[in-house]
Amino acid sequence: MDNFMELLLHSLRAFGITILQFVPNLLAMLIIFIAGYLFSRLIKLLFLRVFRIINFDSWCDKAGLTAIIRKGDIWSKPSDVFGGLIYWFLIILFLVIGLSALRLQTIDNLISQFFLYIPRAFSALVILIAGYIFAGFISRAVLITAVNSGYHYAKILAEAVRLLLIVLILAMALEQLRIAPGIVIAAFSIVFGGIILALAIAFGVGGIDAAKRIINGGEGRPVSPESKDKKKNNEKERDAEYF
Amino acid sequence: MGTEKADILVGIASFNNAGTIGHVVKAVDAGLLKYFPDKKAIIVNSDGGSKDGTTDIVKTATHDHDAIFLSHPVYPAHRISIPYNGIPGKGSAFRALFRKVVDIQADACCVVDADLRSITPEWIELLLSPVIQKGFDFVAPLYSRHKFDGTITNSIVYPVTRALYGKRIRQPIGGEFGFSGKMADFYVSQDVWESHVARFGIDIWMTTEAIVNDFKVCQTFLGAKIHDPKDPGSDLADMLLQVVATLFNMTERHYDKWMDQKGSSDVPTFGFRYHVGLESVKVNAEKMLNIFMAGLKDLRNIWMDIMGPGDLGRIESLGSLTGGSFRFPAGLWSDVVYDYAIAYHRKVMSPEHLIRSIVPLYLGKTASFVLEAENMEQEGAEAEIEKLCLEFESKKDYLVTNWK
Repeated sequence: MDNFMELLLHSLRAFGITILQFVPNLLAMLIIFIAGYLFSRLIKLLFLRVFRIINFDSWCDKAGLTAIIRKGDIWSKPSDVFGGLIYWFLIILFLVIGLSALRLQTIDNLISQFFLYIPRAFSALVILIAGYIFAGFISRAVLITAVNSGYHYAKILAEAVRLLLIVLILAMALEQLRIAPGIVIAAFSIVFGGIILALAIAFGVGGIDAAKRIINGGEGRPVSPESKDKKKNNEKERDAEYF
Repeated sequence: MGTEKADILVGIASFNNAGTIGHVVKAVDAGLLKYFPDKKAIIVNSDGGSKDGTTDIVKTATHDHDAIFLSHPVYPAHRISIPYNGIPGKGSAFRALFRKVVDIQADACCVVDADLRSITPEWIELLLSPVIQKGFDFVAPLYSRHKFDGTITNSIVYPVTRALYGKRIRQPIGGEFGFSGKMADFYVSQDVWESHVARFGIDIWMTTEAIVNDFKVCQTFLGAKIHDPKDPGSDLADMLLQVVATLFNMTERHYDKWMDQKGSSDVPTFGFRYHVGLESVKVNAEKMLNIFMAGLKDLRNIWMDIMGPGDLGRIESLGSLTGGSFRFPAGLWSDVVYDYAIAYHRKVMSPEHLIRSIVPLYLGKTASFVLEAENMEQEGAEAEIEKLCLEFESKKDYLVTNWK
């Protein structure tokens, strides 16, 4: 009986010691949470002020970032959106730091994985944002050039270029995030290769004469004196159009 | 080895102009001998790496002096060909010429295009005499041109330059200019040679800088300008980009100079004005209208960012006009150009996209002018351009108000 009581008391003592050891960790976690919350709010306010000073919203309008945000059905100002992102990033960061203060093996493992993943997530985000802006820029250049050349399907061509670039950018971002990399690379290769093959077939079938002229260095078709005159007139017309 | 001094430098910028440069050199040579026999002159060809023997022709082109100069023996001016460094283009070629003017301490200089077919010895006198005899620093050309020729000058460059800076220089991007050694010294000291000024922006840059920096400017009547067709391989939209981008850059840089300028005044004009028979110019108004309509359909969002809903709505209403009834009102065109200048200033989008997106509107305006002036005489067409300029002047407040 004495042995039993001793065993019971020992367990309770051990539990008490564990609790006593855990309570400071818990307190440290709570303090980190509260300090992190206050720090995050402060940083958010600071960023909002800086955004306002540098006219961040207007820059986002010009760079097309506002349009991207609106497409995601988010109607806040870009500065609020980015301020919110920074705020939540810091909250999650402090949450993770706070949890690490508990010194639990399982949580420690999760945290180390989380920190290892941050650079990849950040790279993917940068690829997405820069890629979206780049795709918009190239698409607009294609649209303007095609319209100025009198091409009838300018908008379709520009949208096709944008789509192609976005597919490429998404594949790069997913590959960076290591989300099913094998499937992403295979899917991208199939889609991209398919598009190139389709274009090659379309050119081969529809542009056989043009291809022949290119291969022959522009000598695929004899130039009659009449067409020479016509070319000269066109040159004159173009000359007149601009200067 | 010291640099030999000369009183006059005549510059010819060239690139593969073997077909025409011989005639240009002969005319320049004869002009120098006939009108400035007592001056030490040098002809400098600034060449962009021609592969067709252009530079050899410059050195060897000769004419029969005895047939031209009956009364006294003469000797041709010294000629040299110099390669230039930097971005390939007309502006870089001119920069090399400006440097040469400064090096040889020339009092007067003129530049002529290498593709001219209508140049005569008198052009040299007309471009240089205002500098040498009247003390002017900058001489712009004045030509008789077909009513459908030089449309970018007529619809954008001349009206904007005149409205902004108040000087009626009719051919601000003519290509042939006379200027003093002091003016060349000013040009060469500017840090603009990595921009569009190094290419086709050079002409409008030279004219604008001469006006805004209070140099003495004038213009001189040269007669008809006939030159080789532009190289069909070159992209003419690039020329438009370079000229308009430089025009807007100048607008940006010299805000304080044009903000308070009201109206415009004539500049001194030299030369005997006479009626010249002009080569007819064919323009394809239908093709231009098709590109305008394509822009209306596909560039709406871009135009909205640049012009806003008001002017875009007015542009869209033109879409219902077809064929010969199509008219682009002068007032609307001046608003559009000012909208573009403001959008360029506010950096609404990449400068290249912004300026390239004006092409369909410009072609629409040009098509409208072609249809309107089809049966007009030269004077009638010129009167239309004058009306357009007055629109630009009267609407300048819109630009000033929206600039800040």
